[in-house]
Amino acid sequence: MIFEAENVVKNFGGLKAVDNISFSVEEGEIFGLIGPNGAGKTTFLNCVAGALKPNEGTVILFGEDVTGLKPEVMCKKGVSRTFQISRPFPRLTVEENVEVGAIFGAPKDHKITAKNRVDEALDFVKFPLSRETPAEHLNAVQLKRLDLARALASSPKLLLLDELAAGLTTGELEEIMDLIKKIRDRGITIIIVEHIMKVIRGVCERIVVIDYGEKIAEGKPDEVMNNPKVIEAYLGEKRISF
Amino acid sequence: MKITELAGRKRKMTGITNILQRVGFSPSGFILLVVLAVLPFIPPFSSEFILRWLIFGAFLAAQAVAFDLTAGYINVVNFGFAAILGLGAYTSAILANTSPYLIVQTGLTPWIGMFIGAIVAGFVGFILGFLTLRLRGLYAAIMAWFVGIAILGLARNLIKLTRGSLGLSPPSLLETSSNRPYFYIILTMMVAIYIICKIVTRSHYGLAFRALGQNIDAARASGINPTKYRVFNFTLSCFCAGLLGGFYAHYFVSLTPQAVMHTSKTVEVLAIAFIGGRGFLWGGILTAFPFVFFIEYLRSALPGLPGLHLVIYGVLMVLVMIYYPKGLAGFVVWAREKIKIYKEEKNGGF
Repeated sequence: MIFEAENVVKNFGGLKAVDNISFSVEEGEIFGLIGPNGAGKTTFLNCVAGALKPNEGTVILFGEDVTGLKPEVMCKKGVSRTFQISRPFPRLTVEENVEVGAIFGAPKDHKITAKNRVDEALDFVKFPLSRETPAEHLNAVQLKRLDLARALASSPKLLLLDELAAGLTTGELEEIMDLIKKIRDRGITIIIVEHIMKVIRGVCERIVVIDYGEKIAEGKPDEVMNNPKVIEAYLGEKRISF
Repeated sequence: MKITELAGRKRKMTGITNILQRVGFSPSGFILLVVLAVLPFIPPFSSEFILRWLIFGAFLAAQAVAFDLTAGYINVVNFGFAAILGLGAYTSAILANTSPYLIVQTGLTPWIGMFIGAIVAGFVGFILGFLTLRLRGLYAAIMAWFVGIAILGLARNLIKLTRGSLGLSPPSLLETSSNRPYFYIILTMMVAIYIICKIVTRSHYGLAFRALGQNIDAARASGINPTKYRVFNFTLSCFCAGLLGGFYAHYFVSLTPQAVMHTSKTVEVLAIAFIGGRGFLWGGILTAFPFVFFIEYLRSALPGLPGLHLVIYGVLMVLVMIYYPKGLAGFVVWAREKIKIYKEEKNGGF
């Protein structure tokens, strides 16, 4: 078991944004986290990545309790993430953006230089523009690729993807799904938060559904999506349409 | 024969430019520095009167470099900068004191006192780094400002140590009435501060500073420890400020809290650094000298308007921040790029 969350709770004042969520992820799995808007998916991801400290519960990585560790420590332990709204470093070039992950996030290894990691990550996401381009000149899709390259350059063992596919066209969706599978094939375990069901069905082996901070279902995507509770959470009465 | 000789010379030339580049000088930047260094021997700059302007220009330029290390890289405007410079000045001046009316009468030579002042200022910078760590942008600036006000208050009220608002008259650094040696001292300080800051910002530290300044969440998620880099940045910047404070104390040989530590002094440096262009370090140097000449000229031409230079600083700074945030250095880089492209096109046309 590479990752386990046990009864994770996160309160904002009186609001329980994440309420008692537990699940575990196997090594090499692509695990989906879905739920309606405001269900607490990103908050949960923040609790895992160290951006927020959970109020209760434990987060276990490789059998080690890592609850409440700082984001920079989590990164060194092998957890990388992308952001829901891609947030690179606007006045750094594409190359420098990725370099940040390669230099500060990756474990020290004399065989692989930071430059190798940068090259590899940018090639891997097939970054389309010159590496000298300042990040502030990129469009939303390019920013997502850049954010992914930055996260990959720190050579993670667990990758958290927060709505990577939001705002992409159908063609781009296929590409990103391919990319996600290829990342997994490199031995990286992935947890993705996503709204687009096509992506969830296309790549995830198991998913958890969260509603109002609580886990309402867990299992294979097709089973879960036919679960009446899930359908109700999303649409009230109707079935989910894809 | 001739060709190999030429190639050899060219290789030698590129060797020199490489060394220069490594310490942060472009060939044209180095030429400007050489011009600056011989200026005190060329009339009218050789007059004592104008030498004082040059010294003040170098003093401001060096401050702008140290200030830009924090403002231009980690994006925190240190509003307490002048107070920390003043702390360095006061430390050195107090240690040099021999007057029996004050508590401390060590009579330490300014040459050592200056460095102790820098270390004290660096230490306060270290603490300031921790204090502002959890704060972003504006809040960090306000916190730094409060610390500055507190230091100013101490300098004013610890009368047994500082003579309060009456101020101190520290001994001068050199036993000479000529300004020229002082110019070379401050020029050396300016170059040293610039080279140190440049080497730091060229390294991984610089990348970490800029990443933290532009997006602290993504920086942390990429494994950058904000404490380490921000505290280091503040410490280095304040150390440089303290050293410059020491120079101020023993060059102007008059020190009052109002004259060195006041917020308007920070604003002066801030304006020069911002007009010069944030995140380049050398932008402030390029701006400081013409500015001092311009302001001093204005002061002598319009003696009835004493605060005019601050108004001009303010207006220019607002204009630059709104319309051209890259500043003078950004413009120079842009122009250089354009010339390069133009030359390449011209060569391609043949």
